[in-house]
Amino acid sequence: MMDHILSFLVFFPLVAGILGFIVNKDSIRAYGLSVAAIELFASLALWFNFDMSHSGIQFVEQASIVSAFGINYFLGVDGISLFIIIMTTFMTFIALLGLSETPRIKNLIITVLVLEMTMVGVFVALDAILFYLFWELSLVPMLYIIGAWGGPKRIYASIKFFLYTFTGSLIMLVGMIYIAHMYYTLTGQWSFSLMDWYTMTFYDLNVQFWLFMAFFVGFAIKVPMFPFHTWLPYAHGQAPTIGSVILAAVLLKMGTYGFVRFSLPLFPDASVMMMMPIAVISVIMIIYTAMVAYAQEDIKQVVAYSSVSHMGVIVLGTFALNVEGISGSIFLMLSHGIVSGALFMLVGVIYDRRHTKLMSEFGGLASVMPAYATIFGVMLMASVGLPLTIGFVGEFLSLLGFYKVSAPMTVFAGTAIIVGAIYMLSAYKKAFFGPVTNPENAHLSDLNGTEKWALIPLVLVVAWLGVYPKPVLGPIDHSVKALVQFMHDNAVTEKAKAIIPAPLADANKGEDN
Amino acid sequence: MNASTQTLLSTLLEPLSSVSFASLNMGTLTPMLIVIAGALGILAIDLIKANMDKTLYVMISILVLVIDFIAVMGMSDVISVMGAQRGFFDVMLIDGLAILSQLIIIVASMLFIPLALTGKRFHEFAYPEFFALFLFMIAGFQFMVATDNLILIFVGLETSSLALYTMIAMHNRKKSFEAAIKYFTMGALAAGFYAFGAMVLYAVSGSVELAVIGEKISQAGVENIYMYLLVASAFMLGAFGLKLSLVPFHTWTPDVYEGSSAALAGYMSIVPKIAGFVVAMRLFELLTQSGVIWLDYVLFTVVVVTLTAANIWALVQTDVKRMLAYSSISHAGFVMAAIYLGTTQANSALFLYWILFIFTNLGAFTMLWVSRQKKVAETSEDHPFSKFSGMIKTTPIAAVSMAIFMLSLAGVPPFALFWGKIYMIGSAIQANELALALIMAINSAIAAYYYLKLILYMFFKEPVNDGSVYMINSSTSLKSIIGFALFMTIIAIMYVDPVLQFVTDAVQASGY
Repeated sequence: MMDHILSFLVFFPLVAGILGFIVNKDSIRAYGLSVAAIELFASLALWFNFDMSHSGIQFVEQASIVSAFGINYFLGVDGISLFIIIMTTFMTFIALLGLSETPRIKNLIITVLVLEMTMVGVFVALDAILFYLFWELSLVPMLYIIGAWGGPKRIYASIKFFLYTFTGSLIMLVGMIYIAHMYYTLTGQWSFSLMDWYTMTFYDLNVQFWLFMAFFVGFAIKVPMFPFHTWLPYAHGQAPTIGSVILAAVLLKMGTYGFVRFSLPLFPDASVMMMMPIAVISVIMIIYTAMVAYAQEDIKQVVAYSSVSHMGVIVLGTFALNVEGISGSIFLMLSHGIVSGALFMLVGVIYDRRHTKLMSEFGGLASVMPAYATIFGVMLMASVGLPLTIGFVGEFLSLLGFYKVSAPMTVFAGTAIIVGAIYMLSAYKKAFFGPVTNPENAHLSDLNGTEKWALIPLVLVVAWLGVYPKPVLGPIDHSVKALVQFMHDNAVTEKAKAIIPAPLADANKGEDN
Repeated sequence: MNASTQTLLSTLLEPLSSVSFASLNMGTLTPMLIVIAGALGILAIDLIKANMDKTLYVMISILVLVIDFIAVMGMSDVISVMGAQRGFFDVMLIDGLAILSQLIIIVASMLFIPLALTGKRFHEFAYPEFFALFLFMIAGFQFMVATDNLILIFVGLETSSLALYTMIAMHNRKKSFEAAIKYFTMGALAAGFYAFGAMVLYAVSGSVELAVIGEKISQAGVENIYMYLLVASAFMLGAFGLKLSLVPFHTWTPDVYEGSSAALAGYMSIVPKIAGFVVAMRLFELLTQSGVIWLDYVLFTVVVVTLTAANIWALVQTDVKRMLAYSSISHAGFVMAAIYLGTTQANSALFLYWILFIFTNLGAFTMLWVSRQKKVAETSEDHPFSKFSGMIKTTPIAAVSMAIFMLSLAGVPPFALFWGKIYMIGSAIQANELALALIMAINSAIAAYYYLKLILYMFFKEPVNDGSVYMINSSTSLKSIIGFALFMTIIAIMYVDPVLQFVTDAVQASGY
């Protein structure tokens, strides 16, 4: 069983989703939840069977798909992807749990299950084409979720979402094929296996730079980085709650995960070269979207822009190119997934009751819905990175990592996070404090049973990992050290070697080249 | 090869009685003869007893094609042992390319002919001549690909084209006549171009065999006869541009597709083109390899323009069939890149792409075919996008199938065409044509928009009818064809590897 657990994780939701067509539509919610629960337990089983002392790839599965072209079915996890997979299965389960009454619920649940397959697939694929396959395929269910259950401008939003990401990833695909071809010229054999690619060094810095850019376009659109972020507010604005939860929690992480899995180890010199430009873009992204968030009147847009803003911190941490920064950014991916997912669910809760997302319509909700206001408050604190919440750990480490690179830039980014606190608190104040001005709000019911069941686990995770992040941070740190060491060894120029530290240098003394 | 010309000349001069039967190597001709015999058989049946049902003729055609398939496979075994075969006074040439393309032609024909078994009656299928013409046409295509003799190519080309014009005209729509006439006029122009090109090549080399022509060109030195070669390649490019609907020779395509039945339009988007590609491959790669560098530039331009312009025209179409017509022009441009690149990998990619394209396009056009109404009062178009509004709510399975065909055409993995696309882009990169690879990728993104447009209509808009119109023309056979196409589109990941192996072996063995 454990030998093929990754294949199980990938294909179980798909098979279950197809079988779901037979299930009666009144029972489909229970069915979807059972499937998501089994998937969640399977991913937890993966965690417990994961060898923490080992920093490399585990649970490897390999089979040839197109042998002449070097395309393989190649799966594996390391400390970096392990927790993102668990976060994916966890958030899918929670999102299904919190799903409110929807028309055509059966189609929606089946679509979410198919989407879960593609998301898990992206994080376990170690063959570039397989990665690309899941990456592209994930667009289709999301397109359907936004387009079929979205708001009034849903068609525009869904097609913008699809075309934007599709275009970016096609350019990435050309980059992938180019690398496979470089491998071919070296060895006489095409290969898209990431492990094979890691054995190559891209001595031609020009080539390395342009390949980095090709991947960057694909990933940056997905993250989405400024100025490619314009599709996201539309997608969030129009998507139904479950769509926003999964989009913010998991789909955006594909981009940042792609940086860690592909860009950094393959192109260390180009990463060093682009470090400052990307940091500048990230800081602009943090500050600009924070300001835009402040100006929003729609509470969902506030959450959406704040989510983009925090993605900026993740990218900043990743491109610190040291252990603290990258570990922090991976941890922040997890916390961002949980927190922004939770915030979108909370927005969905109030939208179900009031059918509006305008903050001016709310006010004084704290007295009417105390449990709701409390959970919202906790998530808000986690989002702005209050110490002892999950948000603090990742943000602190990311900034710490970048502080080693450039103190002024980090100060800018840190300031932006404070601005973030202002807009989030001001939004919270507008919606929750003060007297109840709108009579429609006077008799809103507080969280019901399923909503509590969906949200309380999130609060627990936020508190647990905020206080004691070590069980998660440990394995991440372990794999990231190996990654940074690999980048250091793989870098061509002295400048890059100087900037990228060698955390395992003591262990591998003498092997440095 | 020189010796073979001499034997050819000597055999032509000798009295026929002195030609031994064995030297004709009739095995090379058998597949075509089987199809022709089948066609004559159909006519004979009609002569003996008229008014038989179309199911009889469809099944006879399929059986004939099965025998044809077996015969080609038999030849394939022969050439895998003994190398490329020549026959019938050396005009026939059976190499890997010929085998491969004949197999594609036969399989595609077997898949398309059951589309005659519609739920509604269409009068063209009541005529046995339709099926006889169909088989004659296949024989024509088989001749085209199984020779390197310019005259036999011409004969094959014209046989198949004339049959096809008639079949288009037999559809009972006013637009069908228009389409047939348009196709005929353009076809006549192409034939003229072809004859001129062939004439010039004959003038410089004194031969109509491509192998000999290549030899003579290198003997004479390209620079001495450069002008002639220029003229010849220009005419040939015009001829194949018209046949393969490359921009700017594509103008007939959307009108002809619109006027033909969807079944025939789908067929035209696949089979005549693969025959054309094989001949273009034989001819253009000969010319570019003999040093007609000009042709390289022109081919590059044609590829890029066909790919891009057709995509942009497809964006603004309001009729699904016309959209698919432009899309198939764009796909033709995409694989035409293989002929520009000329590497073994690129040529293999062409065949792989086209095999995968068969299943997807078969599915897409059959979906249009089953929704073909008798009369459309309010609109002049048969399949406007708006007709498919809200299809998911009335006929979900049909909508999902159509969506998967569209996603495959757009190149979304893991559906069929994605594998063809990456292999083609890979071969462009391998040939150091990075710019071309990027243009291909960006065009795929543009194309995604119009395929997506149909999906948007089907999934996100409100239904405009009760859904009966989508399957109005369906029958069990048609549904099975759609199911088969869908199956092959989805499980492409399973069979890409063996197909690619087979294709690469065949292409490599023929020296392309």
